[in-house]
Amino acid sequence: MVEGSGEAGEAVRIVVIDDDFAIRLACEQALTKVGYRVAAYADGAHGLDAVGELKPGLVVVDLKMPGLSGLDVISRLHAIDPSITIVVITGYATISTAVEAMKAGAYDFLPKPFSPDELRLIVRRGFERRELQLTSQQCELERELQRRRFVTFVSHQLKTPLVAVHQYLDVLRQLGDDPEATAKRQDWLARCLVRTDELRRLIDDWLTLAQIEGGLLGRQRARVDLAQVVPGILHSYDALAERDGITLRAEVAGPCPVHGDPTCVGVLIDNLVANAVKYNRSGGCVTVRGRRVGGEVILEVADTGVGIPADAIPFLFDDFYRVRRVGAPKVEGTGLGLPICRRIASEMGGVIEVESQDGTGSTFRVRLPDRGDTPDLP
Amino acid sequence: MPATDTRSDSRTVLVIDDDADFTATVRSVLEREGFAVVNADSGAEGLRKLRDCHPDLVILDVMMESPTEGYGVNEAIKHSGAFDDLQTPIIMVSSIQESPDDRYPRAPEVDMIRPDRYLTKPLDIPKFLEIVRKVVRH
Repeated sequence: MVEGSGEAGEAVRIVVIDDDFAIRLACEQALTKVGYRVAAYADGAHGLDAVGELKPGLVVVDLKMPGLSGLDVISRLHAIDPSITIVVITGYATISTAVEAMKAGAYDFLPKPFSPDELRLIVRRGFERRELQLTSQQCELERELQRRRFVTFVSHQLKTPLVAVHQYLDVLRQLGDDPEATAKRQDWLARCLVRTDELRRLIDDWLTLAQIEGGLLGRQRARVDLAQVVPGILHSYDALAERDGITLRAEVAGPCPVHGDPTCVGVLIDNLVANAVKYNRSGGCVTVRGRRVGGEVILEVADTGVGIPADAIPFLFDDFYRVRRVGAPKVEGTGLGLPICRRIASEMGGVIEVESQDGTGSTFRVRLPDRGDTPDLP
Repeated sequence: MPATDTRSDSRTVLVIDDDADFTATVRSVLEREGFAVVNADSGAEGLRKLRDCHPDLVILDVMMESPTEGYGVNEAIKHSGAFDDLQTPIIMVSSIQESPDDRYPRAPEVDMIRPDRYLTKPLDIPKFLEIVRKVVRH
């Protein structure tokens, strides 16, 4: 049921409780005229029964009635529906009674005598506030649900390698001594090592991510010259590149200063180079470029590898996302490398983009603000 | 448990799971019990192989490429009508301790698409085999 639109619906949206027939009639007429469906009752007991049944969004209630008092009605209304909006009519508009009613949970009060317009205005505002409240409750619920889904997802990612190792060890215990079992044992133990390593890297990456998000990493600001750091990072991939026949090239023109946490800048470049090597092909090339253009420092890591399918690109920077290729061998990875890069780039006031042609290679481009050669920021 | 059921040689289990290490152990355990094992590493491949190999049992992982891929496969098998002729029992497996009741609230119209069993990874192997024997025998 959508509240607050002011249009006639099937359901009764307002219940009026007042012992004064003239007031009930006046309320009904004033509100029905603008399209609300209204039901009116002469005493608290009948009014409450009706509210339980009709589930209106708003109740107009007289404070001074024989039998159940207005204040009693307010507290019982909230017991029926905590989100119900209550407008109080009071014949003796003293501050104290109004305050009492508001304390008891009424939304607003209307002193007698009141005009139809005054009633309609207060009712409309009441519905508007109610709608806002319901929307924000809905948003809160949605956020909570999303948070829970995320926790489930992260624990699944962390558990997966652990489950694999556990099950290997469990089944290994019952493996025989024949040559086939011996071969299997060697193979499985090697896989256990691979998966425990995966788990360790997952935890490391997850921690890095949490540290960046929590503001623990990236606190330090320093001038980092890409021309100085890029060659060192590339060197650390020499052995891997040589094994796969990949050429590593650094093309950074002159001093190319960026401002950020030196550790984070290192992680950013390292993750991109690691991917460029990992998803390359034998005889391929990895080129890291740095240049200053139009107020920006551009860092590019280009590979001549397998490329990224177009339909995977929108998800590339999502936590734990992995590109899957039917029939292709699985590439080890945590699915957190690029999300870490994205957070570091944004932490430094920049963005990360990707251009890729499936089959011919990818270029990751980090665009950072060029702060020139200003000395280290505080 | 004696694996002397003479018919067990002909029994086939289709394991749909994207973790090759998990399927390696499941395969080893099931083959030792005399089952033939077929692997599929995605829901789509699983549905294809289901038609091809007419398994006596499907072991189905929940979170594959998408977090609920397994549920989609389960529903495709049990609800689409496309596999009605097969009547294959399904054991769903996941490292997440979520019972199918959380996903399928009790309602008669969805009761039919509930998996036959739901087990948490890592599998308790003796218990797993007991359930496999029970489910396949029918």
